[in-house]
Formats: sequence, structure tokens, C-alpha cells
Amino acid sequence: MLWTEKYRPKKIEDVIGNEEAKQEVVKWLIGWFTGNKEYPGVLLAGPPGIGKTSFVYALANQFNLHVVELNASDVRTAQHIYAKVGSIGGASTLDAFTGSGPRRNILLFFDEVDGIDPKADTGGLSAILDIANKKEVPIIAAANFPDPVKHKDLLNTFKYITFRPLTPRQIIILLKRIAANEGIAVSDELLNNIATKVNGDARLAVNLLQEASHGLDIDITLTPMENLPFEELIRRLTNSYNINEIRNLLNSNSNQIEDVFYTYYDLITRSNNTSFEDKVRLLDYCIKLNEMFGRMNKKRSFYLFRYILTLMPWFIYSANRAGIVYDGRIPAYRFKLFIQNRKYRDHLNEVYTDRLKMILHESYRKFVTETLPTIKFIDIKDEILEDLLTKVI
Amino acid sequence: MQYMNIKYGTPFRIPRRLGDRFKDIVSIRGVKYIKGTGFIIENKEALDSINKILVKMGLILKPLINCYICGGNVDCDECTFNKSCHKAVTHCICKTCFQQRDLVNIYISKQTQMIRRLIGE
Ligand SMILES: [Zn+2]
Repeated sequence: MLWTEKYRPKKIEDVIGNEEAKQEVVKWLIGWFTGNKEYPGVLLAGPPGIGKTSFVYALANQFNLHVVELNASDVRTAQHIYAKVGSIGGASTLDAFTGSGPRRNILLFFDEVDGIDPKADTGGLSAILDIANKKEVPIIAAANFPDPVKHKDLLNTFKYITFRPLTPRQIIILLKRIAANEGIAVSDELLNNIATKVNGDARLAVNLLQEASHGLDIDITLTPMENLPFEELIRRLTNSYNINEIRNLLNSNSNQIEDVFYTYYDLITRSNNTSFEDKVRLLDYCIKLNEMFGRMNKKRSFYLFRYILTLMPWFIYSANRAGIVYDGRIPAYRFKLFIQNRKYRDHLNEVYTDRLKMILHESYRKFVTETLPTIKFIDIKDEILEDLLTKVI
Repeated sequence: MQYMNIKYGTPFRIPRRLGDRFKDIVSIRGVKYIKGTGFIIENKEALDSINKILVKMGLILKPLINCYICGGNVDCDECTFNKSCHKAVTHCICKTCFQQRDLVNIYISKQTQMIRRLIGE
């Protein structure tokens, strides 16, 4: 199991860092339920991987609230939003979400609200504001990079609270806590090494600690590899039980990563020598990855792409360990899918690969094998990168 | 020279006399202005840019970072992570507290206290 999942915070106190921001949100929420509705909602702003979503769920858990999550990139139109939320005005409308159990209060959560581009938006943003202004449900919106002009109304209506990447010392607290829970001894050297490398990205830090705990060298030592034909890539992947090798293969063939995923999805469903428990676990993983690929394609999100690149090696590694073998055939319907995928993939290639390598003045090969996987460690500010990418797109 | 303490991510207002530099300040990347609330500085680069403007008018903004555990000042200059840290936080852990053996539990119980205080238990 991924530690990022296993150690997802259950309570606010489990969320490390952003102490003041957390207090602000808690104060606002308490105020909201005691009648101070000056701000109908909170806008949490900050880069990915620093625990905004985890915090919202921990908060809801602590206050026994039921989270109704809307992903802003899924709900571009007002109709979609109202259909999912109901017309909040009526008392009965939100009961649907609480099921038949004892009724709990609702917390509306709009994740990635900056995924709504006001220009392409057909009422989604104003629906959110409309719901907010009715002040019948507390709302938290999360955004990576809200634009002061594009999201002006949102910024003026919601209480703006910044989430910052963690400091290295905060990262170390997080890692020490997990290490203690896992009962593993971790050297200060390793902790310092991770803490200095991750730029405050808690999720990445936890992934690196997990890798290190499997006896892996977390230093980024990627060996350049050839771009392989798809079948050969699958053959090599299914035969590998070495996470570094799997990662290298994926990184140097990252343009085929979604095809690899769907092939594995297929292999898992068809596998005869995998236990039922393992299948359930792997398919659960598949569903999550599938959702991420979907979002990545829709949003053309470089961050999701990078995130997927960190998850996929573990997915493949655990699938192989669970007895997945390649039987030498890719079902025909998959090929159709591959062709569809290729369309967006070419786009991804163009945007992320060509443009970025231009920005970084690197060859394609060096970019794919070395830079892409370590992009987080290069001294480019997220905002600048995002800005460059949005301009390019 | 006048000094003013600010916290990253926390809104503040500039003295009225500096109002005519408003446009320059809001156009800095990493600075936000929220009507009725004030300016928010997101990162060190933004702070440096603001200070370049304000220093000519006799004001320097200084970031405050408090230790979450003891409440004291955190001195980034004596931190081994000084170079790899973005420093744009309101809280971190001071050197003394960071060296405590039971650091993790102390930190977590601080958080528990904070929540209890807010909830009024
Ligand atoms: Zn201290």
C-alpha cells in the first residue's frame, strides 16, 4: 500500500505544517456554524502535494461533516453543479448525500476550482458563487494557482487562505512520524537528503521515504534508455522485479505510459495466477489511476502527469509481485483505445516535451530520461513553470 | 528607516502615504491584493520585489517566522536547510525545539492543544 494513502491524515493534528492556515480555516468553520457567515466560503490556495485536500477531509472528519466533493474540472456548467448539489435552498435536497444514516451536516468541497476557465465556463463559476451566497452550506474551494484577474469574483467572495509548501524541518517531522509508525530506523542523513530535495512537497517526500525503506537508492540516478517498441516495453516491464529498472523504463518511454497502464489493467483482470485479494487491491489502484489519467487528459495537467510518473512504477512493481504475466497478446479493442490515446499523447508530447525542452535547452532524449523525472528538483519556480505552460497551451 | 513585520500568506495593509505605489505593488508576481483585506505576499521573491519599491519610501517589510512549539523566533540563518528552504511560512521549528528527542509527539500534541483551544473543549 502506498504510504501516502496509508498515512492520509484522519484528524487536523495529523496534518503537518501550515499551522496558521489550518487555524484560520477551523476558526472560519466554527464561526460559520455559530452564525458568523461573513465569508460564505474559504479558498485554499497553494501548489499540489502540500495537503490541501487531505486537510479538508481531516477537517470534515474532525467535525463530523459529510464532504460533497465537486471537481471543478468535471463541472464546467451550472447545470452539472446544480444537478450534483441539488437546489440547496430546500431542506431535503442535501439529504440525498447523507444516505439513510443519521443526518450529518454537509461540507461542500470544490477541488481545483482554478480548473474552471471563466472564458470557457458556461456558468460553473457563477453557480459556485450563487451557492456560496445562499450561505446554507459551508464551502471550501481549493486552487493551485488562482488568477487575480480571471478568478476575481471568487477571490472577493471567499476567504483567501494560503497553503505553503512545507519547510524541510516540517518535512522531517512528517517523515519521522511515519518511520516511527512503520517501526523502521531511518538515518538523519536520509531524512535530510529527502527534506532538501522535495521543495516542500509532502507527497513526494513520503513516496521517497517509502522507496528508501524498500532498500532503494533515492538519489536520482537514472540510466538513459532507448525508446522501446510498445510490445517490447511491456515484455521488459512484466519481467522486472526491480523498481529502479521499472522506473527507468517508464521514464524513458513516458510517452507510452497510458498504453502501459491500460495494458496492465487488462492483464490484471485476465490474470489467472493472482489471488482474489491482490486483484481487488490492484483493481482499486487501477480505478484511481484511471481517474487520474482522465483528469490529466482533460486538464492537460503537467502536475498530474508528473504525479502519475511517480505512482506508475509502484503500481507495476506490485502487479508483477502479485503474479501478473504478459501472455503475449494485447486485446484488439485495446488497439482502438491506443489510437485514441495517441491523439492526446501527441498533444502532450508537443506541449510538455517539445516546449519544455526548448525552455530548458535540452535534447529530447536528455529531457525525457533525465530532466522530466527530476523536474521538481530543478530550480524553476512552480509558478513560472505553470505560467510558461499556460502561455504555451 | 521604518520596519514593519509581516507574515507570509497573511494579509497586511501598507501605510496610507504609500498608496500611490499601489499599482506597482499589486503587479508584482506573488503579491495578491484582496479588497477590504489587504496585501498578501506569497514568497520571498515577491517580498524582495516589494522591498525594492518600499525602501525608497523609507519602509522595509520583515518576515516573521515563529517556532510552532515554543513560540520563539526561528532564525533561518542558523538552520542547516537555509539554502534549500523557501522560507515563506509563518511557522517553523526553532533549532532548540528541533533537537528535542520527542519532537514528533511534542509537535502533534501542540496541534491537538491548538484544535482544542479553538473548539473550546
Ligand atoms: Zn522552539
